[in-house]
Parts: sequence; C-alpha cells; structure tokens
Amino acid sequence: MTAPVELGSQLITLMAALMLVVQLFMVVQQMLLTNIRLFAIQSLFLAGIATVIGYAHHATHVYVLAVLTLLGKVLLLPRLLTRLVRRINIIQEIEPLLNAPTSMLLCGGLTLLGYLVARPFTSLERLGNNTLAIAMTLVLTGFFLMFNRRKAITQVLALLTVENGVMLAAVALTTYGMPLVVELGIFFDVMVAVMISGILVYRIRESFASMDTSKLTQLKG
Amino acid sequence: MTLILLPLVPMLAGVLCLVTRSRASWERLNLLAFVLLVPLACKVSADVLDHGTTSTLDGFLRADALSALVTFLTAFVALACAVYGVGYLRRDERDGRISGAQLRRYYVLTPLFVGVMLLVPLADNLGVMWVAIEGTTLASVLLVTFYNQRTSFEAGWKYIIIGSIGISLALFGTIFTYYSAVRVLGEDAHYGMNWSVLVGVAEKLDPDAMRLAFIFVLLGYGTKAGLAPMHTWKPDAYSEAPVPTAALLGAGFINCAIYAIARFDMLAEKSLGHEFPGKLLAGFGIASILVAAPFILTQRNFRRILAYSSIDHAGIMIAALGFGGKLGALGLTLHMLFHAMTKPLMFFCAGNVQQHFATPYFRQVRGVIRSLPWTGSLFFMATLAVTGTPPFGIFQSEFTTLSAALAAGRSWSASLFIVGVVTIFAGFLVHMARMNLGTARQDAPSYPSECPWKLSAMAVAAVPVIVVGFWLPRPLHQLVQHTAQIIGGTP
Repeated sequence: MTAPVELGSQLITLMAALMLVVQLFMVVQQMLLTNIRLFAIQSLFLAGIATVIGYAHHATHVYVLAVLTLLGKVLLLPRLLTRLVRRINIIQEIEPLLNAPTSMLLCGGLTLLGYLVARPFTSLERLGNNTLAIAMTLVLTGFFLMFNRRKAITQVLALLTVENGVMLAAVALTTYGMPLVVELGIFFDVMVAVMISGILVYRIRESFASMDTSKLTQLKG
Repeated sequence: MTLILLPLVPMLAGVLCLVTRSRASWERLNLLAFVLLVPLACKVSADVLDHGTTSTLDGFLRADALSALVTFLTAFVALACAVYGVGYLRRDERDGRISGAQLRRYYVLTPLFVGVMLLVPLADNLGVMWVAIEGTTLASVLLVTFYNQRTSFEAGWKYIIIGSIGISLALFGTIFTYYSAVRVLGEDAHYGMNWSVLVGVAEKLDPDAMRLAFIFVLLGYGTKAGLAPMHTWKPDAYSEAPVPTAALLGAGFINCAIYAIARFDMLAEKSLGHEFPGKLLAGFGIASILVAAPFILTQRNFRRILAYSSIDHAGIMIAALGFGGKLGALGLTLHMLFHAMTKPLMFFCAGNVQQHFATPYFRQVRGVIRSLPWTGSLFFMATLAVTGTPPFGIFQSEFTTLSAALAAGRSWSASLFIVGVVTIFAGFLVHMARMNLGTARQDAPSYPSECPWKLSAMAVAAVPVIVVGFWLPRPLHQLVQHTAQIIGGTP
C-alpha cells in the first residue's frame, strides 16, 4: 500500500465518521434552518471524500461526483430549501414525534444494526473498513428521521440524507464511483425530485394551511 | 436507430407541447407520438425475433425478447390511453373541472412519462434503468396531483415520498451488485453495471453482496410495483390521478417495475441458486395477493378497487417469478402480457362511469348497463377477464402460475394463492353486478358519456381482451416463448 492511499483511507474514515456525527446532530436539532445547514455540511464531507478518492486512486471521474455534490447538495439545494422555508413563513420548530434522548438511543441501535449488516464486507483492502457501515447507518437513520418528523419539508431533508448515505456507499464500496452517465442521471433525478417536492410542499401549505403530514389522512381503505 | 427513437419520439412530443398553445395541437402531437410508437415497438420485436438481441449507441440501449415484450406492451397501453385521454379530458373541460393550464400540464407530462418509461426496458446499464424508473415517478407526480384538490396533494405526497424511499433502497441494491461485479471484472469495471456483462459473470459474483443487493432491490422496485406491505401509495395515486394516467401506471408502468425485479432475479439466481430469491419472491407475491383480497371484498370506491386489483396482479407476477422453473417463467410472461391487455379497459370503463355519475362510490351508482350500454357491458366483461375467468387470457396465466407452484412443491403457497384469487373474484363480482345491473336512477345527467374518442379507445382495448384468450398471433407467441426462456435462465 502506497503512502497517499494509506493517508487517503484514514482521511476518508475520518470524514465518513463526521458525516455520521452531523447526522446525529440533525436527529436532535429542533430548528429547521439549522437542519438545512447541517445537511449542507454533511454533503460537504461527502464531496471531500469523493475528492480524496479521486486523488488517491487517480480516478478522474470521481472528481465529477465531488463537483456535482458541491454545486448541488452544498450550495444549490440548501439555498432552495431555505428560500422555500422563508417564503412559506412556517414556524421553525420541527416537532418530532419522539423526544431527543429516545431518538438518540434509537439511532445508537440503528448504528449497531448498520455495522452488523456491513460486517461481511468490511474486509475491503483499499478503504477504511468503517465507511460502508457508516453509509448503511446514514440510510437507516435517514429513514428514522423521515418517520419521526411530521413537517413535509423535513421529510424531504431526511430523504436527502438517505441519498447521501447511498452515494457514500457508492464511492466507498467500489473506489471508482459509478459510471459517469449514471452519476449524472442520479444527480439530475435528485435535483428534480427536490424541486417537485418543493412545489408540493408549497401547495400542501396553501390548501391545508399547514405542513403537518399527519393531517394528510383523508384517503383511506 | 429504432431503439433511440422509442424513448425520443414521445419526449420530443412532450417538449413540443410545451411551446404550442392550442388544445388541438396538443391532442394531435400526443396522438401522433403514440401512434408512431406502435410500429417502432413492432420493429424492435421483429429485430429481436430475427437476431436474438439488438443494441445501439455502443450498447447503451439493448433489447432482447423480454425488453421487446415490455416495450410493445407499454406502447399498446400508451396508445389506448392517449385516445381515451382526448375524450376524457374534453369531458372534464366541458364540466369545468380543469383549466387550460392543467390541460397543457397533462399533454406535456404524459408523453415525457411514457418516454422515460420506455427507457426502462431498453437501458442495458442497471444504473440508467434506475434513473429511468425514478424519472417515471418524477414525471408522473404532477399528474397524480392533476386536479389540485386537497386529496390530490395528499396522494401526490405519499406517491413521491414512499416512491423515493423505495427507489433509494433500489439504488443501494444496484450499487451492491456493481460492487460485486467490480471485484470480478477488475479492469473492465466501468462495464460492471451493464446487465449483458453481469449476466455473463453472474456465477462468480460475491454471494454475500448479491444476497443483500437482491433484498434491497426487491424492496425498492417492489415499492414501485406496489407489492405489500409497500403498496400504500397505490390506492391513493390511482384514485386521484386522471383515469388515463392511472391506466398508464396500472397497466403500463407496473410491467416496467416487475421487469426490473426480473432482471435482478436472473443475476441473483445464477449467483445464489434458486432457493433464496425464490422464497423471498414467493413470500412477497402471496402476501400481496392476500393483502389485496379483503380490501377488494369490502371496497366502496370503484377507482380504489382497481388499485387493489393491481396490487393483487403484481403479487401474482412476483409469485410466478418466485415459483421459478419453466412454468413460473411462462406464467410471469403470460401474466405481464394478459394483464397489460386487460387492465386498460377496466380503467376506461371506470372513468366513464365516474364522469357520467359524478361519483367514485359503488353505492351511488346503479344500472350502468342501461344508461351506458357499451361501458356497462364491457365493464362486466373486463371484470370477468381481470379476475381470471375462462376463456379470458388471465385464467391461463394464473393457471400456469398455480401449476408452477405445485411443480415446485409449494403446496402451501398454492393453496393460499387459490384462496386469494377466489376471494378477489367473489369480491369483484358482487360489486360489479350490483353496480352494472339493476335500474338506473332518474337524475343521471342527460349528456352522453360515451363519446367517439372514448368508444374507439375502449374498442382498441377490448378487442385484444377477447382475442388473446383464444389466439396469440404467431410473432407474439414467439416473443412470449423467447421471453420465458430468458427469464427461466436458458437463453
């Protein structure tokens, strides 16, 4: 193993761990705008990981992933979401279903589960062993965030953290990242998905005078 | 070339609709695009029957018999829905339910939706296939919320959120598959997402990764297909969307989702053997049938009952895939074919009834056969066809599936299958008999709901329902056989 790869793998593990820490902050953080900023920071770490992998393994097209993540998830999407929050003028408190300590405890359990599921694959030669487990944990806690929150816009945020987890798995597992056309496609889809959800959030807010998705209960049976 | 045109023609029509201004031009552009799709799809099928596979753009788009069959069925459903849509939306406009802007939204998004949907069976790269499936969700969300009611937004929200959860799981599974391919392929790793490459090395794929990948993919694309317990978006989306969109989702897109699961199943079976994926698929399939049954029995809304029927049929297809063997593969192929040919008629008739009586509830509608003779009688026929009564096609495919279960020695699955299918048959028959027969109410509106557009769409949809039960045209028969061989793993 050469020196930059060694250093790179340590850097990757460090940044992946920081992604998880940010995720846990999001679980307990109650303010909506702070949550959006935390998501931007988490995406920044993802872009950092992609850059390190691109550098250490001389994989140029992983840089593309880094740039896309930086432009899309660090700059553009948080700005869009912030504007949406300001425009619909909602109360900033998130009102989770479960309180912070319970959520934290559950997420600890989910992290254990993530490590358990990832165990057969942790003998990867070139990468930090923890990265896949963290990716899995991000996905699981992302789902938890989605169920724990009632406001439509926070569910979009939770979905985006799941997406971050999946992309982390993509770079962590393969060290190449995916073929360029797939990366571009995924990027495009995520952008459009957030914009459409934004439209829906706006319309739900207009016609229900609320963003609380637990009020969406007219359709039954 | 044909392969490129298939997704491109409808997408182009969608973009053109964005820049044109009159209803007449939107209608013409849509109809033109969907009429063009049929010869294109036939051309692909003919090529595939001649050469086995056909590909273009350096292998980016690729079609074998399975892709050709799904493409052909999608094109058929899209054409029928386009013709029906013209009559349906004109009626909506006359009733003052929709505005010009909404009309344009429909005519722009529908061809985009179909174009992306056609990319699903034609993309060789599993990542691109994922992008296309997510694309269909995005193109259709604003069609689900078409009527701008509170309930439409509720349905649209569930549709996009549940769909996105599912689809991100499917991406996770795709990445795991890619990971195991990268380890086998080494230098050629950038082809590691191409199905045609993967199937060649599938025996060598890491079984641990493939097991996890298959679970994720089944959960993910199973959500899009509407398998229980991930089906909860379906009744809402189907009942809130305009009828032609619901028909596209319920008869066209469902095949694309099943197609994606089948592709991954072929890889998983080579890597893991039949036992693990087979059990998982059969479990989800039977569960979907059994979950749908009580909801059909107690259903009050004739739009929602179609969604539960679609959950049931997705379950039958997945169960057939899970039972495996030659019979299972044949059962799945036939069921995809017969279901896509039968279901549009159900949706169209339901749409006519809803527009005529201005209600989606069974109890407010009586004597459809008297007030709408064509709709009423075809509705009854389609109900018999869709619940698997002989001599209609679905009886054959369900019977084949049942034989596959018995041949695989899964007698428990087989008996649960029968219980579910019979319950659903009874439920449908009770509801439909009560609604279609009897005397009509006096206060039904006088304006006829069976315009020439709707009637011709119903004719396009009804003829195959009657014909395919007795006779499959030779090329279609060959296509079915080739497809079953591919799914069965002996190409």
